[in-house]
Amino acid sequence: MRSRDGSYNFSLSICSVVLFLFSSTLLNASDYLVSYRYVVKDAILYNETLDISKSMKKCIGEPTKSLILDSYENDDLEDIILKNSTEFIDFIHTLGLQVEHKESTTNAINKSTTILTLKTTCFEVDFNDNFARISPLK
Amino acid sequence: MKYSLLLVALLSASSLMAETPMQNNDMSTVSQETSVASQEMSSEVKEEQVLKKNEGIRISVTGQGVAPMNTNSPAQAYALAKRAAVADAYRLIAEKVKGVRIDGQDLIKDMMVKRSTVRTSVQAMIRNANIVETTFKDGLCEVEMEVTISHSQFAQ
Repeated sequence: MRSRDGSYNFSLSICSVVLFLFSSTLLNASDYLVSYRYVVKDAILYNETLDISKSMKKCIGEPTKSLILDSYENDDLEDIILKNSTEFIDFIHTLGLQVEHKESTTNAINKSTTILTLKTTCFEVDFNDNFARISPLK
Repeated sequence: MKYSLLLVALLSASSLMAETPMQNNDMSTVSQETSVASQEMSSEVKEEQVLKKNEGIRISVTGQGVAPMNTNSPAQAYALAKRAAVADAYRLIAEKVKGVRIDGQDLIKDMMVKRSTVRTSVQAMIRNANIVETTFKDGLCEVEMEVTISHSQFAQ
C-alpha cells in the first residue's frame, strides 16, 4: 500500500474515505415492505390500513418510477409517509390496486362493500438530508 | 264409387298444392324478420367499442362518495368522501372493463315472494387510472376518473 512518494498515511486516508462513502450510500438505501388496504361500505369510508415494515432481507428487482417526498431531516419512513400521506396514496394509486366489490339487494334494501388493496410491495428508499426517494421494485 | 274416391283425392291434392305457397310466404316473412333482427343486432354491435391494435379506448366514469356523519372538520369530511368516491370510481371502471358477476335468488312461499335477493360482485386489477376532476357539494364527493386501455395490455 506504500505509494511512490512514500506517503502511506495519505493513501490510507483516501481509501478509508472512499470506503466510508460507499458504505454510507449502501446503508442509506433501504428496502421497505408496504401494503395498503381500504374498505368502503355503502359509499362511506369504513376502514383504512397502511402497513410499513423494513424488509428483513434484500428485495430482488429493479426500481421503477420514483416518488420524492420531503423528509424533514427524518430517517423514519413511517413518519415521512404520514407527513406526506396524500402524495403517497396518490402514488400508490398509480401503481395499481386490486378492486373487490360485493353488493347485495334484498327486498329493495341495498348493501355494498368495496375493498381496494395494494398487495405487499417492496420499495427502495433513499434517505437524504431534505428528501427521501421512494421507488417500487419490479 | 271409384270415381268419387279419385275426385276426393284430386281435391285434397289441389288443396295441399294451394296451401304450400302460403307456407312458403310465411317462411319468407319469418326469414325477413330474422334478417331485420340480425341487422339490428349488427348495428348494436357496430355501436359497441372494440379494442383494436394501435388504438386505445378511453374509459371515463364518475364515482360518488359520502362523508361520514361524525367528522371533526370539513376538510376531514372532504378527504374521507373523496376516498369513498375514488373506490366507487375504481369499481365502475372494473365493471366496464371486466364485467359483473350477478347472482339472484327469490324465495316464494304460499304463492307470495317472501325474499328477493340480487348479489353482484366484481374483481379486477386497475392500474394507471387518473383523476380528472373532483367536486364536493353538500357532503357528496364526485370524482371523475379515466383510464386508457390498449390492445397490448390484453395481448398474450
